[in-house]
Amino acid sequence: MTAQAATTPSPWRQCVELARKDLRLELRTGEVLLVTAPFGAVALLFVPLAIGPDTPLLRQLGPGMFWVVVLLFGVLVTLRQSAADGPAQLAVLRLCGVHPGVRLAGRALANAMLLLTFQAVLAPVAIALYNPDLTGGLWLIPAMVLVAAGLAALGTVAGALAEGLAGRTILGPLLVVPVALPLLLGATQVLATARHEQAPWPWLLLMLAAIGVIALTVALVARFLEESA
Amino acid sequence: MTRVRTALPIAAAVAVATGVTAAMLAPADQLQGDLQRLMYVHVPAAWTAYLSFAVTLVASIGWLWRRKPGFDRVAASSAEVGVFFTALAIALGSIWGKPVWGVWWTWDPRLITTALMLFVYLGYLALRRATLDPDARARRAAVFGVVAFVQVPIVHMSVEWWRTLHQPATVLQPGQPSIDTPMLITLLINVVAFMLIYAVLLRLRLGIAAMDDQRAARQVAEGRELAGGAVTAPHLEDTQEKEAH
Repeated sequence: MTAQAATTPSPWRQCVELARKDLRLELRTGEVLLVTAPFGAVALLFVPLAIGPDTPLLRQLGPGMFWVVVLLFGVLVTLRQSAADGPAQLAVLRLCGVHPGVRLAGRALANAMLLLTFQAVLAPVAIALYNPDLTGGLWLIPAMVLVAAGLAALGTVAGALAEGLAGRTILGPLLVVPVALPLLLGATQVLATARHEQAPWPWLLLMLAAIGVIALTVALVARFLEESA
Repeated sequence: MTRVRTALPIAAAVAVATGVTAAMLAPADQLQGDLQRLMYVHVPAAWTAYLSFAVTLVASIGWLWRRKPGFDRVAASSAEVGVFFTALAIALGSIWGKPVWGVWWTWDPRLITTALMLFVYLGYLALRRATLDPDARARRAAVFGVVAFVQVPIVHMSVEWWRTLHQPATVLQPGQPSIDTPMLITLLINVVAFMLIYAVLLRLRLGIAAMDDQRAARQVAEGRELAGGAVTAPHLEDTQEKEAH
């Protein structure tokens, strides 16, 4: 074993360290928990005000509204300012021999953790405001994990595509949201299917397949994205 | 080359005239009557949009592989033309939907996925517009051009995956087309006409893109600043004086 091989951490270790770096930055700035999550809660609060006090209708709309807010505001989570690497940081990572795919995977891992936290904060708010039927609610857990993973991967690609651009926080959502359709569809249908006492495996598989396609695309295009950074 | 330049618009005009005549002469639908004739423009518009985005995909892969500016121009021009045909297909579908379904728009998977495809490619064009450096623009657009194409099969298969209001595929489906032969021939004539229109528009847009590139290269060669380059961040007078000292 050469000296270099002995000192170079494994790609997984690199990925975890990069994710930890992102999470530490988030801990210091609190962009997700202190800014984006309250903003999402305000959006959930505004919908009943716009629709009116029709409790049965709001009960029906609740889960859908929750996922729409997670999708729209979750994109902001993945494109947060603290996730923007400057040319110096990128140069250091390149010099350290970090593969572009590993760098993106690290960012996606951190984004997924933040999105899960974001959903965990918003879910009680949605339940309190809309009082939805939570029959089969345990199925929400895998749905939340898959939405976090898929949205994190998509947001990471969009963030890399819009890196350094003046309008990245506006352009990013336009690039991510239309492509995130399978995630929204799967997430909304999971609870709807579970409510009829059926296992929502097809919808979870749809989301899993979409994540697989996104992950494969990220792996294939990571090198080109690195060049554009 | 000059012959192609003149022959292509003529061929497109002849094909359009033939297509319109065939659409008028084709038998009317038993249920929808003359309204069904909208199919002869709605379906070709949608198929031409698919073709445009497929060309963008191939040209994007070509750019990532060969790094030739021509591929980037083809990808961008085809995406622009594709956005036009997608919007046209949505508008024509809406005009057809109002008398048949009773609404301009309904929450049907085919309609939603098509609208999303429009937004995906509007995002592609916005990404290009936001990136000023030509090399970075070509690279980012090529990556997104590959990613964005995922939406096309979703749009096409949406009527098979979710059976709702929009009718399933009648021609681009496994097995025999479920459409009367004279109607199918008329449809195919119009498809050819639309593809020739696409070729004319793509050619025109490619010419503009090439001129744009030449102008940008000339500006760089002359050392002239780009438009907006003279605008600087405002300074307070005393700050400027301090900086000068």
